[in-house]
Amino acid sequence: MVAASPSSPPPVKPFAGSAGSRLAGNAAAAARFLPVWLATVALVVIAAFAAPNALGHTSWSYVLPQATILAIASLGQMLVVVQGGIDLSTPGVISAGGNLVVGVGAGSDHRIPVAILAAVGVGLLVGLVNGVLVGLLRLNPLIVTLAVGQIVLAWSSKYSRDVVTNQPNVASGLASWAATKHLGISNVFWTGAALAILVALALRYTTVGRRFQAVGANPRAAWIAGLRVRTHVVFAYAAAGTLYAVAAVLLAGVSISIDPAFGSAYLLAPIAAVVIAGASLAGGLASATSTWIAALALTLLTQMLVIMGLSAAMQYVVFGGAIIAGMVISGDRVALLLGRSLRPAKPPPRQASAQT
Amino acid sequence: MRSKHQVLALLFSAIALALFAAGSGLAGGTHSKTSAASGPSGWVAKSSASVGSGGGFGETYKAPAATLTHALFHSNLLPANKNARNIALGSLGRSTKTVNYALALKCWKNNGCTTGTGGKLTVAYVEGFGENTYRQMSKMEFILEALTYPKIGKIIYRSAHSDLNQAIADFKSMIAQHVSAIVTYPDFGDAMLPVFQQATKAGIPVSTYAWGYVSGPGSNYTTVVGEDTCKLGKTFAYVMNTQVKSGNIAFLGGFPGNPLSLGWQKCEQTALNSSIKIVANDPTNWDPSKVQGIVSGILAKTPDLKGVSYEDALFMSQGGYAAYKAANIPYQGVFTYRTDEAGMGCLADKLKDPKLKIFYYSAGNAQIRVALTADMMKLAGAKIPPTIVFPIQLQNQATRDMCLKGYPPTASGTSLIPLSLLHQMYP
Repeated sequence: MVAASPSSPPPVKPFAGSAGSRLAGNAAAAARFLPVWLATVALVVIAAFAAPNALGHTSWSYVLPQATILAIASLGQMLVVVQGGIDLSTPGVISAGGNLVVGVGAGSDHRIPVAILAAVGVGLLVGLVNGVLVGLLRLNPLIVTLAVGQIVLAWSSKYSRDVVTNQPNVASGLASWAATKHLGISNVFWTGAALAILVALALRYTTVGRRFQAVGANPRAAWIAGLRVRTHVVFAYAAAGTLYAVAAVLLAGVSISIDPAFGSAYLLAPIAAVVIAGASLAGGLASATSTWIAALALTLLTQMLVIMGLSAAMQYVVFGGAIIAGMVISGDRVALLLGRSLRPAKPPPRQASAQT
Repeated sequence: MRSKHQVLALLFSAIALALFAAGSGLAGGTHSKTSAASGPSGWVAKSSASVGSGGGFGETYKAPAATLTHALFHSNLLPANKNARNIALGSLGRSTKTVNYALALKCWKNNGCTTGTGGKLTVAYVEGFGENTYRQMSKMEFILEALTYPKIGKIIYRSAHSDLNQAIADFKSMIAQHVSAIVTYPDFGDAMLPVFQQATKAGIPVSTYAWGYVSGPGSNYTTVVGEDTCKLGKTFAYVMNTQVKSGNIAFLGGFPGNPLSLGWQKCEQTALNSSIKIVANDPTNWDPSKVQGIVSGILAKTPDLKGVSYEDALFMSQGGYAAYKAANIPYQGVFTYRTDEAGMGCLADKLKDPKLKIFYYSAGNAQIRVALTADMMKLAGAKIPPTIVFPIQLQNQATRDMCLKGYPPTASGTSLIPLSLLHQMYP
């Protein structure tokens, strides 16, 4: 222990009673993200009994690429949610991205890189517009992203009608790449897994990532600490738009051809995945790997319901019920309960903790 | 500081939107340079042979045989009921009338227009969902037919984008505007009945097409135009009974409860051999992505699937094919479809697999023309039968290729939209 001197502030001892508090903190954090993993395991067990075909090779060959695409879109949504925002422009960006992949690609393998760049560029641009409107102009993210998404969707519909309808097929090179498997699993999965790991590592182990989360958890404190809060918000939306576009490229690849309704299923599913994964809608806390697992669980559940042969109405009921159940068992609720139960009854006075 | 940020943000947003708008112009603007001319309102051939005679209520009950063959596969596949037959002949005979393609294209792109004739009638095409090529082509057929009537001065189009409340609001808006006639496809079935009744009470004729059956045609609304969907289902069953003989097949449908899917499914089900088992009957909302998910689920449960009955050939060539490919299962079996989009035929031609057997009817875009003519004749005082039903004749892809030269993959080859205009719609 270094002795205090008049010229330097007294060294701060770690929070007293720290063993219990750290345990409570870690348990609370684990409780936030653990339920989705347990729920996914439970879903697999239920599927094994109720719809074993959902766990067969044929089913996984559909579920894994689709879950991956949803996971990538959900990762984008997660970055926005970490900043306390929400992004409803996802279907618009995915629709525009998919149409550009086909329209710019024009069925030629040589044009695939340009087509992908165009799609990702538009995703980035839309994300930047969202970011600027929300981060700098301080407009309501719910309304702004919905409005921007509608504009993009309208443009995408026009582009689809003018350019894509006559040739709706994805360039064969991209479709073949999406269908190619390594270790028996689609390239789409490996791409998504790599992206998820990258985002998870960046958020957890890099300065930029930790700052990004700190800004989301408490923007005022982050601002006092000298962090550029608005820049982080703009970055979140821009990165989200880019990830949606990547999802669009992969979705086009696995769909082989696209239609005017392309991407329409991605309005609520990414938000559901992020929330079920335990992210706080107030911002700050989220897990990339849990989000990935939540996307997998939602896709597997959808497939399971089809295989079980439930009526359309019953499928909606079960799916909606599963999302509500997921929200109940994940996130703040369980985390708070567990945190309270593990926390010492009376935390020691703050004064004492600062003494040498 | 904050105001500086805001100015910068506004500037940035404006630049981004401008770039976006410019991009859209660059990307999708080629068609606007194409010059549009006038021409016949429907598909016509050089052959001068015609079917029918007589006329009344502003119509001539005569149509070119080639036009009928193009739309219906054979010129004698007309409704059995005399009045219904006359309406069909009067409507399809209007294909020979000259219309302004530039105006039609403008009307199609702008979802409505004034026709410039000074006519006092306003006609509306109102639908619950209009976002696929099939519906967009139906819209053009409606516009082309409307342009053959000098009495029609204004054309309105509304799509509710799959939103029931919006669909009802759109319909009420048409009643409030006192439009002269309404044509619709009731995606939400009997949920639209109250507004149908309101329109009828207000003296507005309402007709549906593609067997958009809502309860009480003839009393609650004017008429329903379509093929005999029960016969379609029975014909599907005949194909399955003779081609599949025994094994597992699946049904796919559109929006849950839509009258078209219900119509053929219940009749196919009862007409199938007992050795054929229906392993799934799922609604797809006529969305190729959903088709992919559902077909994938069916294949996971039943890898030895021997056949599929569905309305939309195109979606099975898109989402359906993608599901087979992802599952690494050969795209083989017996497929019966209601529609005839070129894309399915072109895929079959590409695969060249004798084990892929496709039987199809017509998308029936031209039925919307008949629905409009029924409304116009009703306004002229004619008695309209509650149903106008076209007989069925299923086609075999092996003997009649639905991959027609010059047609976009998403377009039906039996549409009456002139090919030159179709190319301007989808350049």
